[in-house]
Amino acid sequence: MIDLQNVSKQFDGKRKVIALDQVSLSIARGEMVSMIGASGSGKSTMLNLIGGLDRPTSGEIVVDGERLGRASGDQLTRIRRDKIGFIFQFFHLLPTLSCLENVALPLHLRGWSRRRIEERARELLDLVQLGHRLDHLPEELSGGERQRAAIARALSVYPPILLADEPTGNLDSQTGAGILSLIRGLHQRLESTILIVTHDMDVAESCPRTIRLKDGKVIEDIRR
Amino acid sequence: MLLRLLTWPYVRKHKLRAILTILGIALGVIVFVGMRTANDSVLYGFQQTVDRLAGKTQLQISSGETGFPEEVLERVQALPEVETAVPVIEATVRTGLPGQGNILILAVDMTGDRGLRQYEFEEGDESFIDDPLVFLAQPDSIMITSEFAARNHLATGGRISFDTMIGPKQFTIRGIMKSGGLASAFGGNLAIMDIYAAQQVFGRGRSFDRIDLKLKPDVPLARGQSALQTLLGSGYQIEPPSSRGQQFESITRIFSIGASLNSAFALLIGLFIIYNTFAIAVTQRRSEIGILRALGASSRQISGLFLLESAILGLAGSIIGIAFGLLMARGMANYVSSLFGEIYGVAQRVETVAADPKIVALALVIGVATSMLAASIPARDASRVDPAAALHKGAYESFSPRESRLRLIAAAGFLAIAAFSLFLRGSEGLRLYAGYLSVVLAAILLTPALVRRLVVALRPLLRSLLPVEGALAADSLIRSPRRTSATVAAVMLSISLVAGLGGVSNASYESLMSWMNNVLNPDLFVGASEQISDRSFRFPASIGGELRRMDFIDELQMVRTARVMFRGAPVMVVAVTIDSLSRRVHPQVIAGDPSTMYREVAAGRGVIFADNLALLKGVKLGDIVEIPSPSGVLKLPVAGITIDYSDQQGAILMDRSVFVRNWKDDTVNVFRVYLRKGVSASEGKRRILDRLGAQSRLFVLTNDQVRRFILRVTDQWFALTYMQIFVAVLVAILGIVNSLTVSITDRRRELGVLQAVGGLRRQVRQTIWIEAMSIALVSVLLGLALGAVILFYYLGIIREQIAGVRLEYEYPVRIALSLIPTMIAVAFLSALGPAESAVRSSLVEALEYE
Repeated sequence: MIDLQNVSKQFDGKRKVIALDQVSLSIARGEMVSMIGASGSGKSTMLNLIGGLDRPTSGEIVVDGERLGRASGDQLTRIRRDKIGFIFQFFHLLPTLSCLENVALPLHLRGWSRRRIEERARELLDLVQLGHRLDHLPEELSGGERQRAAIARALSVYPPILLADEPTGNLDSQTGAGILSLIRGLHQRLESTILIVTHDMDVAESCPRTIRLKDGKVIEDIRR
Repeated sequence: MLLRLLTWPYVRKHKLRAILTILGIALGVIVFVGMRTANDSVLYGFQQTVDRLAGKTQLQISSGETGFPEEVLERVQALPEVETAVPVIEATVRTGLPGQGNILILAVDMTGDRGLRQYEFEEGDESFIDDPLVFLAQPDSIMITSEFAARNHLATGGRISFDTMIGPKQFTIRGIMKSGGLASAFGGNLAIMDIYAAQQVFGRGRSFDRIDLKLKPDVPLARGQSALQTLLGSGYQIEPPSSRGQQFESITRIFSIGASLNSAFALLIGLFIIYNTFAIAVTQRRSEIGILRALGASSRQISGLFLLESAILGLAGSIIGIAFGLLMARGMANYVSSLFGEIYGVAQRVETVAADPKIVALALVIGVATSMLAASIPARDASRVDPAAALHKGAYESFSPRESRLRLIAAAGFLAIAAFSLFLRGSEGLRLYAGYLSVVLAAILLTPALVRRLVVALRPLLRSLLPVEGALAADSLIRSPRRTSATVAAVMLSISLVAGLGGVSNASYESLMSWMNNVLNPDLFVGASEQISDRSFRFPASIGGELRRMDFIDELQMVRTARVMFRGAPVMVVAVTIDSLSRRVHPQVIAGDPSTMYREVAAGRGVIFADNLALLKGVKLGDIVEIPSPSGVLKLPVAGITIDYSDQQGAILMDRSVFVRNWKDDTVNVFRVYLRKGVSASEGKRRILDRLGAQSRLFVLTNDQVRRFILRVTDQWFALTYMQIFVAVLVAILGIVNSLTVSITDRRRELGVLQAVGGLRRQVRQTIWIEAMSIALVSVLLGLALGAVILFYYLGIIREQIAGVRLEYEYPVRIALSLIPTMIAVAFLSALGPAESAVRSSLVEALEYE
């Protein structure tokens, strides 16, 4: 499902920084993988590369049969919107849109009909137990609710891949556990491929597979 | 230190915005320096010519520009206080030489003139001039300057041809004057000829334009002036040469006021660009300010930092503005000069366009002060930042309920002042300016509330067009009222200026067209100059007799126009046979009964005043006005007031018989010719030229040609207005670009999220385009509404304060309708760059952006 072959990412600034160094790995369809490592180990960079938010300096990334390295900007966007759902640490909900509108956003971008969008957005919000918060603005939601809304948005087209960057990093432990349980439940129900970047060992260990990065290299790949 | 550590990195990071800010000030300064320098250069050129021609002249005797009979000279020369008095005729004629334009002909009596003016000749020429009688004996003699000779490869003994009243005439160059002093007057395009020859070739009859004189050494100027005034009466003006400059300034006063207003408007708009930029900068750097405050920076240090920034940007903008303003002045000076020639019929020549240190210094002060004034409110806001709340992103971009309430109260206060000022009596200027300023301030204060309402109303429409892009664009505007309203206010002011000026321009053309249709109805105009406004040449009355004898001419009106001094300023007198005029023209009569008015004026028992002149001079129907003439002061009642644009400042219309009798002058400037039925204008023109073209300098213009000339000059006059409109639109563009670049920076993460969740580049672009177009639409709607109000004030200010012209209020609907799509298109184009930068920036950085 996700294949990385000798992927490197170098940042050219005043000093060159190698964020990822010749990384190769494969994630099969339906796997739920956690990625851990110290700050600066390259885990977020890897997530961004897999999600098509950034491009590698060298190497090849294939996501669901699509070679990201050769894709144009808009092709990357299409891959993202059809195959990938993002969950961010800081939720990144648009503050002026209601819960329903935030979830509907990717569907609008796909040009779905209004009726179909409404149906799907409601369905997703029910799925994440936010059916009673449809018209609330993000600022009117708690941290956990915001993340659940963000997850609903990430699931809008039921993408085969879900990428989560510190999904519980901005939440207290109880809310975080609830979100993790939600993600796990979705994994089982939707059979999505899920990659979670985290600092939290409890979160990491709850996944059947954990990849550990250090200085831009995979140093450990644990399967449970 | 703070400047280097904090400002410089910020400016480097937001280069485009810094450039836009500098441009905002530069634009204002360019207009200020350009127009003032061009205007001053023309005035200076005129004054310089007057000074150089004056020589040792202490006093000049004139009767407006009408001239006076020769006998006056003898009376003046006989006065014991006078040492030397010499007659002068001045005329400008076209040289016909490529690139030389006009030449000023100074016609003098060489026997006495050397007592006043110093003539220095190139070697070998003195002997001839030493014997003036030889010069006089040959009426084709002319002297030119060495500069003119060198430019045109002319030498003593050579021949040069000028158009005269008796057709093109060959003159023989009898002397070449050394450059400097007198010879450098009128940029060196000067020729000296004998005054008696000039009387003939310029159609002056037996009159002089003026007398230049020197008093005896022991006679004080005031005593001499008084003695001459007693001798000649108050029909003559006895003034030092320098007063001619003041008279010129008085004639061109409207232009000078217009130039000053243009500069003020440009600076006002610049002020809003700076305000916009600094308001945004303070919003963006709020957390930085909070940290500084937490680290111990005082309020004064914070506001000082922003004021210093604004001063530096103002200084940079002023320097650029001065440099480009001087360049603009070079281009404009000749344009202004020819415009003055065509509108006022006063010849002058720009010799040098130099940077006047006073204007440069003033421009620097104005540029820096405007910039600091504009930044003072954001600087004050910055100094009041609460360190604890500073990191609370977003909260500052909206107005607190208290601030919104205060704005509404202040706006209501200004509107009350504007309403109150409508009923104020006494000072018209104060009433209009206070009202205008109050309305503008109220509009600025109300902008956030109005913008919010308009965008909220617009949101469903935008959403229905493009659900995501439309809603996001509208939300971005609603969410940041500070940023949005600062931009909208700047663009709104620009648009209101365009609507106001467009309304003035429309009303002026309407009024002019109506006047032309009512009054300018002869089939042909026979003039002695190509330009109908040029008064250098005049016909002898005998030409009128010859024209009357032509059987295809149904009616002929002989018109004499000349400026006379009225209440201390030169005013145009139009003398025409009123009896004939009353049968043919139907001007709009403002005061007086038309039939009584014409009867009284035709009988020489009154004059008709132009409405604008009457207002400017405070003249009312029935007032007895005093008009100086060579025969004494003419006292006549005002028999009527009509709309009349014969001259920009308005004219006094009198019967030709009154003028001939009092000015002892029966010459004619223009013949208004009505052809018999069945004779076409082109045929009439051909037949007049066939009969008279060979014997006299004569230009026959058809009605259509005269109208086109008037409209062309009006177009040139309004070119300045169009330039102002152009600057206003440019500022609107700058405002929109500025706001969008800020909006994109502010919404970097939001736009990143949009792309991360599947938004195509096209969709991100569309969001930004819609935002820009929404700003434009909202600004245009508010600007057009404000324009409707300020047009009322503009028309009032023009009428009461500047030109006295009665212009009908008519909203410029066509301009308004064309502005909406234009500004939306302009906004779209302005958004292209920012939109591209948004879609091309790194998504990862955008998502991490705080």
